[in-house]
Amino acid sequence: MFQVIGGRSVQVTRLLAPRSPVIVEAVRGRKSRTDPVAKSKEGRIKLPPPVDATEMVVLKERYTEYQMITRALRLEFKEEVLRKKYEEETGSLAEERARQEAEEHRALMAFNSQENLRILQVRMLRIQKETEDAERQQLEAVVQRQQQQQEFIKEKEKEVLKLQEDAKNFITLENLDQRIEEALDNPKNYNFAIDKEGRVVKQTTLQ
Amino acid sequence: MPMKGRFPIRRTLEYLQKGDIIFKNRVKIMTVNYNTQGELSDGARKFVFFNIPQIQYKNQWLQIMMFKNMTPSPFLKFYLDNGEQVLVDVEGKDHKEISQHVKKILGKSEEVLQAEAQAKMQASNPANFGPIKYCLRECMCEVEGQVQCPGSTPLPKEMTGKYRAQMAASQE
Repeated sequence: MFQVIGGRSVQVTRLLAPRSPVIVEAVRGRKSRTDPVAKSKEGRIKLPPPVDATEMVVLKERYTEYQMITRALRLEFKEEVLRKKYEEETGSLAEERARQEAEEHRALMAFNSQENLRILQVRMLRIQKETEDAERQQLEAVVQRQQQQQEFIKEKEKEVLKLQEDAKNFITLENLDQRIEEALDNPKNYNFAIDKEGRVVKQTTLQ
Repeated sequence: MPMKGRFPIRRTLEYLQKGDIIFKNRVKIMTVNYNTQGELSDGARKFVFFNIPQIQYKNQWLQIMMFKNMTPSPFLKFYLDNGEQVLVDVEGKDHKEISQHVKKILGKSEEVLQAEAQAKMQASNPANFGPIKYCLRECMCEVEGQVQCPGSTPLPKEMTGKYRAQMAASQE
């Protein structure tokens, strides 16, 4: 909060004072730059605490020893941490561990490739079976198509024969007179009744 | 209602924390190629649907990419930091088998995980006092049953140095 300043406006008090005090002016915390110093603090000179020479000497010795010891301890601990870190990363144990890990990794990769090979075999078998199935299906389809064609031909042949048979009973120009005479000679009666079995039951006489 | 999606349990913290695949530090990228149709890809599809959220939750810095309908058979590919690529064929496998296999070849083993947990516990001792970022407590005044911080509640008169000095002076 207090800033040390050299060579400011308070030169008079500096001359008057026996010891060389530290002229301290407060950094404006609560007050702004234009506010004056408080009335009760107008001529205030702050003096550092008095120093005893012999005491200072003794204290200085003790302090140097103390600081040396603490600095040494601090550096020791820092060094220990660094050494641990170094050991962790590039020590003999670390190398061992790295080697072991590499070996394990290789073993696991080998296991993985074994699995891959196994699945590959299964896949090859499946593909083979699928191609065989497809071929068989194709052959069957061909055979079936041929069969269908054969049947079609047979059907057509049957129809042709039937037509030929019917052709014998056709009425042509030569038969015309003969068939007319036959029809007139044999009158046909279509009025008859049937029972459930299909036998003719009644028949009316032709009029 | 907060339920979104077909299996909203996949979004719960409990489900995510149950994931047990934690990859080694060398694995950087994971790629899954699978098909959206077909029975052979079924295991891979289930793996992507159920297990990938768990894996990503446990390996926040792992890059995971999914490719659909690019190859006839499904597979996983891992890219390690030394440039090595590990191919895992998953045709016809079940999603549980896939996750077990992956855990075996590239996951951290139980002992390693336990050792890491131990190290973490040792590094962060709950008995330490210090900044809140690193320790649980900063000052003894925060502990129950101890003297409250004189900054918030004034100390009883008998404990103040001023009173004690007065008493000592008046006695002499």
